[in-house]
Amino acid sequence: MKFLGFFDLYLNKNNCTRARKVKLLFCSLLLVILFTVVGYRTISLASIKKDNISKIANKDIKPNTFQESLRGNIYDRNKKILATTINTLSLNINPQKILDKRITINKLLQIFPQLNEKYLLKKLNTNKKYISLLREISPREYVRLLQAGIEGLIIQKRLKRIYPNNTLASHILGGTDVDGRGIAGIEKKFNAQLQNGKNINLSIHSGIQHITKKLLSNQINKFEAEGGAGIVMNAKNGEVYSIVSLPDYNANNYNSILDRSLFNKATKGIYELGSTLKLITAAIAFESNLINEDEVFDVSKPLRVSSRVITDFHPLSYSINIPEVIVHSSNIGSAKIAEKFGPSIQLKYLRSLGLMNKLELELPELGRPQVLMDKKILTTMTISYGHGISITPMHLASVTATLVNNGIKVDPTLIIAKSKKNNQQIISQKTSTKMKSIMRLVVSNKYGTAKKAESTGYLVGGKTGTAEKINPTGGYFKNKNIVTFTGAFPMNNPEFIITIMIDDPKGQKFSNGYRTAGWVVAPVVRELVTRIAPILGIKPQLENSSKFYKNLFNYKIRGKNNGANL
Amino acid sequence: MIRYPSLLIVFVILFVAISLYQIKHLITKKEIELSQIKNNINDAQSDLNILNAELSYLKRPERIEKIALDKLGLKEVLPTDIWNLQDLANVTENLNNGELK
Repeated sequence: MKFLGFFDLYLNKNNCTRARKVKLLFCSLLLVILFTVVGYRTISLASIKKDNISKIANKDIKPNTFQESLRGNIYDRNKKILATTINTLSLNINPQKILDKRITINKLLQIFPQLNEKYLLKKLNTNKKYISLLREISPREYVRLLQAGIEGLIIQKRLKRIYPNNTLASHILGGTDVDGRGIAGIEKKFNAQLQNGKNINLSIHSGIQHITKKLLSNQINKFEAEGGAGIVMNAKNGEVYSIVSLPDYNANNYNSILDRSLFNKATKGIYELGSTLKLITAAIAFESNLINEDEVFDVSKPLRVSSRVITDFHPLSYSINIPEVIVHSSNIGSAKIAEKFGPSIQLKYLRSLGLMNKLELELPELGRPQVLMDKKILTTMTISYGHGISITPMHLASVTATLVNNGIKVDPTLIIAKSKKNNQQIISQKTSTKMKSIMRLVVSNKYGTAKKAESTGYLVGGKTGTAEKINPTGGYFKNKNIVTFTGAFPMNNPEFIITIMIDDPKGQKFSNGYRTAGWVVAPVVRELVTRIAPILGIKPQLENSSKFYKNLFNYKIRGKNNGANL
Repeated sequence: MIRYPSLLIVFVILFVAISLYQIKHLITKKEIELSQIKNNINDAQSDLNILNAELSYLKRPERIEKIALDKLGLKEVLPTDIWNLQDLANVTENLNNGELK
């Protein structure tokens, strides 16, 4: 209570002197404590501490801290990094803080011999307070800079997106701008997730991507072609294992490339893919019930419709059934089949197979198919063998998958384990089995157009297509082709789809001047299947095993002079 | 005249003010610490990314292929190198029955 009395200003006279002494003592103590604290802090701030000195000295030279989180990584299906972000250091300088420019220049030249004296002198002789010297320096150069003790340096941290595999899957990955925003490919499609630090796991298989690219590239060089596209996809769930578009580019240089190599031929480019579309015609024919399975079509004479004459590359002198139309790749036969089911049914199936719309693939670079929809019978006939309909190779891969996947629609996806179970039945299981049987014959039969695609034991099946290239100024180039193969393996239970397209191959001596799909693309398929099947865990099997025959029909195919044997 | 309750209030206010200042100071300190930790995490993540990128660079399929073919002398697996035991049994059976030559 006495202590509290200290604050009582109306103390009685007896206690007055004592109270004043107490007050004085208290105030003195307070002042001493306060001054001690202030004094200690002053001395501690002024004292020479090693940490303080280095902090002050490195205030400018140490890279600025940053708060943003790193952009997420992109992985392939085996968790291999395809794109990642790292910190890099940039070298900048404040010329106003330099004491001796000559010494500074000499020191800089010792560390960075790529800089020249004149350039540095010009840069440092300005009134500016911030000059950028190098956008990227290595950690070793950074250490040497610190050791050199150059005044006025400003080192800044920068984030850099890198693609360790250079050209591998560059069209899928896309690229980022200088601010790190995705501007193409997966980088653009998943920009929001990646910017929040989330990783993206693609269904792409780096090894298969590389093999596809290498084989396609070899064949493009052999046939002096303009480019090409290659796709490997799971036939059941649509997971894409490889998408190759050639020519390609180094993904690390995305922002400095301005030529056609940026164009994704596999998903963005639309082409008339020729006779590969006959598979759809046959499937519609089986499915529509308008055509009897044993019905034959006379292909012995060219077919004249309006002003157009439809001919065959390998003319036959007798009437052939649907499997023979596909195996011999008869345009006349295909046109006659289409004439039977007509434009409405054809367009209905093209729509349900997804050939009227862009795909729902996780890429911004997607091409929209172009289909002539005038419902004229001539158009229906030409579409039946792939003229008057332009689609992307990815569309063709998707259609092939649907045809061999028991008729259930397959939507391609680039994201692993994302595929939803699609129950949309486009064609019946029976039609699918017929299609698989015919596709196998295109490769295995001696009259098939894709004999060179046969890879012993892997039961490859498919369809070739050789189409004249569209002239952008109108009409077709007579001497430029787009050659394609689309198919699956093993045909008794298709696991994987392969679609290969080569743009404008030239006839070569070793190909006897031929530049058809059978000569150009089929050999790529054989090599590709042989190399990727062991990686994909597909075991070779004997064609005459009961397992094979149980799953497929055995159609009889006649040759050029065997018309009487049906 | 200053009464005890008033003095008490003055003390309480002073105490609260000092405590608040202390808390604010502590929070600022913790925020700086948190920011430093975040930056350290980013740096560590970046270092990890560099190492993973290097690993990915070294595991480039074309490099592995070159090493396998040139240095190790490996060859591509052919269908004839892999046999299904059931198929083998079927072939043997067929051969025994004289169906295959």
